[in-house]
Amino acid sequence: MSGRETAWRVLAHEFSQSTEEERGTGDRVASYVLSPLGAKMNRVLLVGTLSAAEAIGRDAATPFFRTRLTDPTGFVLVTAGGFQPRALEALRNLKGPQDALVVGKTHLFVGRDGVAYPSVRAEAIRALPSAELEAGLAEAAEQTLARIALVKALESTPAPSDEALRASGYPRSWIRAAREVRPRYPSRDPESFRPPIEGVLAGIRSHAPRESVRGPAPAPPRPVASRDPPARDHGSATFLDLLDELAEGSSDGFADLGDLLERAGARGIDSEVAERILVELEEAGAIEEPVVGKLRRTEPQGSGVVP
Amino acid sequence: MATSESPGLPKETLLRDLRADSDPVLITARVVAAERRDVTRRSDGGRRPVLSGLLSDGTATVRFTWWDPPAAGVERGSVLRAANVVVRDFRGRAEVSFTWKTRVEPASELELPSIAPESMPRRTVSEIAQGSEGFRLDARVVRVRPKVVSVGEERREIHEGILADGTASIAFTAWSDLGLAEGESVRLSGIYARTFRSRPQLILDQRTHVERIPGEGLPVFPADGLPPRTALGELEALGGSDWARVEGVVVDLRPPSGVVYRCPSCRRAVSQGLCRVHGAVEGVADLRARLVLDDGTGSVTVNADRAIAERLWGRTLPEALDALRERPDPERLTEELFTTVFGKRLRAVGRATVDSFGTTLYPDTLSELAPTPPDAASAQRRAP
Repeated sequence: MSGRETAWRVLAHEFSQSTEEERGTGDRVASYVLSPLGAKMNRVLLVGTLSAAEAIGRDAATPFFRTRLTDPTGFVLVTAGGFQPRALEALRNLKGPQDALVVGKTHLFVGRDGVAYPSVRAEAIRALPSAELEAGLAEAAEQTLARIALVKALESTPAPSDEALRASGYPRSWIRAAREVRPRYPSRDPESFRPPIEGVLAGIRSHAPRESVRGPAPAPPRPVASRDPPARDHGSATFLDLLDELAEGSSDGFADLGDLLERAGARGIDSEVAERILVELEEAGAIEEPVVGKLRRTEPQGSGVVP
Repeated sequence: MATSESPGLPKETLLRDLRADSDPVLITARVVAAERRDVTRRSDGGRRPVLSGLLSDGTATVRFTWWDPPAAGVERGSVLRAANVVVRDFRGRAEVSFTWKTRVEPASELELPSIAPESMPRRTVSEIAQGSEGFRLDARVVRVRPKVVSVGEERREIHEGILADGTASIAFTAWSDLGLAEGESVRLSGIYARTFRSRPQLILDQRTHVERIPGEGLPVFPADGLPPRTALGELEALGGSDWARVEGVVVDLRPPSGVVYRCPSCRRAVSQGLCRVHGAVEGVADLRARLVLDDGTGSVTVNADRAIAERLWGRTLPEALDALRERPDPERLTEELFTTVFGKRLRAVGRATVDSFGTTLYPDTLSELAPTPPDAASAQRRAP
């Protein structure tokens, strides 16, 4: 077995739904974030648009940067600290939205309330011209569709043998990972992952204007409870989106409650519904209100604690 | 009254059919390796000569031990006929020994069992392993090049190349000119496999029988001359390949990359001014890039040599050395190489080997891939 971990091609939607992990024990043993589509990810390769990074290190001696990588299916939290000097430097110099390729190690933080937050600790980052961004998105989409087909094949009856799967073109590494990972998500329908991916491919095929790539994520399903995720309606997803937008735009990293309700209203969420969503999200531990009228995501790295 | 089982006339047996429990047999085989030594008797301290080595008759190779051999006349290449040999089993393999009961006499090439290619079991390329012999192989000649090598004092022309069938490809070395031509399909017998740099390799020599066949069912390689693409998640399980094409994104650069120093006599990398074999030497500067390519199913280390690294980097070795003189920081220079290659999509064609460090590919060619046009990307609806 070679020592190097594969850089799985995933889109933000699948990654953000990855709420299970396999933690190695002992010395220098790899940990994996497991995806509902059978990826066993220690390392990933992502393409998308990086937002300007924020420094969340406690002091200059322990720098730590955080940003988001957005693709047409959602976003992924991307971080870099002193142990990733290349990526740290890239994030430090990131001043505005930038199309990029990110290779990094996966990380899953599970809060006290059982809410799982997958993120990527970047190892290296490369700015991409738009043709390469599209090629990268197409590759991730194609591989994700192939993995959907693989996990569906695994669950068909009679269960196919490894040889049969290999004959249909699935590499051994994927079959092994899918057999191991898939039982962790007994109730997730792989088909439910298909629409956003086909959206990506359609977008690329039609050469849609780049805004569609950078635009608001259709359904960022973060955060998701790690066990038995509660069904989240569209309202709360939009709500979280708006919260992120505001938090990112503000100087202190908090979203102002008043602004948030106003924007939610503009999106057709009236204040009563908004209040209900707010209470729900707070109870689920997804957001918090440390100062009255100021909201933020319950973020492990937010306090500068390196998980 | 003599039957084939009678002690007077032992049964003529092919080496591949030897069994430990069989009656004494008669074999005719060639000595392919021989070593003479003395064994000290424990009882009286007397010395007893013994000759041991390998015998082959084209169907199999077995170890032999010959007690009290003649003083001369038996060496590598001799053909022997031996009656009443003793067959033993050693760890699942047959071995023969020649004792006082055994009659050994020299024989000629022509007396070796003639093995019709049709009587040999057929093997595919993927079934060939270290030590395989006594089989026939249908394959297409993908590539063949003459090469002059020195064997001791002698200079010999050999032919090296690649054979492939639908299952895999394998490198071969032909020690005599069999007139193989690129693209033709051949049925080979009288061949054997040995291990070269952790990959099985076929050996063809003057005993090899070549028959041209129509080659239906054997893959025809496209005009671009490239092997089909192998997913990196498969390459390791295949145990590497002598002729593989892989495509992926550069995700890392492994040390030592960039400017390295090599021993002037053996080209091994010099570390701290010392060559592993030649001790303290004046290292000669060279350029290399050890790229990690990843396609989402697995990864491979691509060991790019100077020519390929220069083209990829857009900087020549003299330029890199100039840059080092100006700013003597090799790490910074290597980081520049990293920045140039990281995230690039490359295609590598060459020989891939697998060891405990993972899969390594030695590229014949390395080219940058233009971003796939979206239409082509969506047409390709399968695992890579």
